[in-house]
Amino acid sequence: MIDLIQNTIDGVMIGSSYGLLALGFTLIFGVMRRLDLAYGPSIMIGAYFGTILYLHYGAGPFAVAIAVVIGAAIAGIYVERLCFAPMKAGAAIASMVSSFAIWMQLEQAALLVLPRHTYPFPPLSTGAPLAFGPFLVRIDHLIMLVSTLGLTAVVHLTLHRTRFGLALRAIIGNPVAAHLVGIDVRRAVLVAFAGASSVGGAAGFLVLAVDQQVTPMFGMWATMKGLIAMMIGGLGSVPGAVVGGVLLGIVEAHSQWYFGPQIRDLVAYFLLFAFLVVRPRGLLGCPPDSVLPQKA
Amino acid sequence: MDDHVIGVLSNIGVVSFVALSAYLLLLTGEISFGQQAFFAIGAYGAGVATALWGWPLAAALAWGAAIGGAVAMLVGMPTLRLHGLYFAVATLAFAEMVRILFELFRYQVSIDGELVGPNGGEGFRNIRYVFDHNIDAFQFLLLIYLLLAAALLGFVLLERSRLGVIFRMIGEDETLAGLQGISVVRHRVLAAGIAGSLAGIGGGLYAHLTTYVEPRIFDVMLGVHSLAYGLIGGLGTALGPLLGVVIDIGLLESIRALAGYRMIIFGGFVALLLIVRPRGLLDETTVHRLGRGWRQIFPWPRRPNLNRRGNNA
Amino acid sequence: MRSATYALTVAVLTLWRPENGCAQVRAKADISCRPAVEKLQYDCIINLANSRSGEPLSGLTLTVGADMPSMPTAHNVRPVKATEDEDKGTYRARITLEMHGDWALRLDLSGTVRDRVIKVLRFGSDRVDEAPLARTPARHRH
Repeated sequence: MIDLIQNTIDGVMIGSSYGLLALGFTLIFGVMRRLDLAYGPSIMIGAYFGTILYLHYGAGPFAVAIAVVIGAAIAGIYVERLCFAPMKAGAAIASMVSSFAIWMQLEQAALLVLPRHTYPFPPLSTGAPLAFGPFLVRIDHLIMLVSTLGLTAVVHLTLHRTRFGLALRAIIGNPVAAHLVGIDVRRAVLVAFAGASSVGGAAGFLVLAVDQQVTPMFGMWATMKGLIAMMIGGLGSVPGAVVGGVLLGIVEAHSQWYFGPQIRDLVAYFLLFAFLVVRPRGLLGCPPDSVLPQKA
Repeated sequence: MDDHVIGVLSNIGVVSFVALSAYLLLLTGEISFGQQAFFAIGAYGAGVATALWGWPLAAALAWGAAIGGAVAMLVGMPTLRLHGLYFAVATLAFAEMVRILFELFRYQVSIDGELVGPNGGEGFRNIRYVFDHNIDAFQFLLLIYLLLAAALLGFVLLERSRLGVIFRMIGEDETLAGLQGISVVRHRVLAAGIAGSLAGIGGGLYAHLTTYVEPRIFDVMLGVHSLAYGLIGGLGTALGPLLGVVIDIGLLESIRALAGYRMIIFGGFVALLLIVRPRGLLDETTVHRLGRGWRQIFPWPRRPNLNRRGNNA
Repeated sequence: MRSATYALTVAVLTLWRPENGCAQVRAKADISCRPAVEKLQYDCIINLANSRSGEPLSGLTLTVGADMPSMPTAHNVRPVKATEDEDKGTYRARITLEMHGDWALRLDLSGTVRDRVIKVLRFGSDRVDEAPLARTPARHRH
């Protein structure tokens, strides 16, 4: 019983970071209606900026976080300009494949600059885990959870209380109509992309600071986790991203505890597949036909 | 022929199968990131057949194709309602599940005092059929291209046949196709099965080419690559994916001096290409124009020129 | 027409029976590699022996190639021919890789013995080890 609750607590913590990853992903999908496969690698570029800062200049966690966020945002803008902005309306597959090509490009660029297998990341906190009765909670996990909630609140407020957020919601609802009422769609999309990549960067920083290292596999990992959490929670849904992430985290924590890391990954993908087959809209999303344009 | 050149050509040949597999599904309007799963199933299946059960190569390849196709059809059914992105992600999830299952799959048999067979994450070594039967590299290359030619011939015939038209119709607009009386369900599952078998044959060939497979090889990268080949080379003809494979592996060979920057160059090239040609180099328009030009030079074989009454003009 | 083509292909494949080699000599290889002078260059020493009798295999043409298991045809390491030492059965080769990480070395033997041995090693900047098998990372527990 104690294990069950402890695992659930751990799952919620880790899941919050998945939720943040999914949040950025879902924002991009919401405005573009296309999947950005270079999302994880853009975050990794940011992470590599961060680790260089840490390694060579001994920067503290806060400075590294800023570096990661800025790096991710720059990479995100690069991806948007190259893979999404120039594509015409009917070329969704081309955009995805283009983002995949840039994924490979970014990964190789990162490996050229930092060729080793692992690079250190500053820890969020060096204190001992807090004890709540028989349960242990790591302080860095708590920081991660609080940051996630905070960032989600920021995103939510931006979307619902600012003019820019209003414009974004209009674009998410109907891009043509948004254009017709005078919203500069291309500029808004660019800013949204940068913002979403920044959120992803923050998520990446949190995960890497908890792990205290970054490896070249991180790009693919982040994309996959973000994708699973996003689809489970519902494509295009902001609260869905967080809920999906937390659910994924909990399921993973339990699977790993009882069956080990491989089964954990198997279960994660199975969860995604099962959701898609049974309830493609996810937990909180809209039905697929209303989300996707008629022709890809 | 230089051994290295044979090796590169063999790689091109084998990868073309997965590329064609993804291309077939693209014709029916579905994006699949998961064809590498059937490539894996074909590889392990054919490998087990020759190395553990002592089957001849032809039977093993057929077996790999058969289970590849069967599993593809099984997966095709629950995903029938999914389209576009949802279908793509579902295939991705499925392929990753298959890969992880192979990491856990152990099936070893003692042959001549040695344990042979798939051993989870360690992979499947010693698929030694070509060595035990004295097939040299060049002969195997011929086999690969013979099968590839057969597959291409199949595609050419498909494009001219009613089935090919049906596939493209479903790709354009499923609802309209259904309204024409076409059983969309049956044709999508059929397409999935054929695509799965294609990838399965490729997998079987790959396993025997390299004599060693491990689950890591069949990851998302391979899957997205197979799709990318069609997008780069062109979706207008089955030669498109082949062109894509040749460009990728050929570029790899020629930019040896910049080996460390290959992906950077290639990635940028692909991104720029897709801006200008979102359906690849040999897209439908280009193929049509090339076909017209060809027919002006070589007027036969001529498609029947039917007038409005359906009679020969 | 289509079925005829496929029938022909199947017929060719089933009738084509290459010679059945029985009791082929199989090789086993001991490989150890060290970083060489230049970055991403490694000197490898390979000992080839008959896997059954253990006697060294000499006078063979050994070509060493490499591929990354995680990206099978994505890299391009030009295969190098190894030179044999005075010790029978010991060969040396210098390979240049494209990046650090896990590589599957492919030893192609030809000559009196035709075989292929594959060995996965992890190539780092200062050392080369056996590649560890556990590749799925577990999340940290307390």
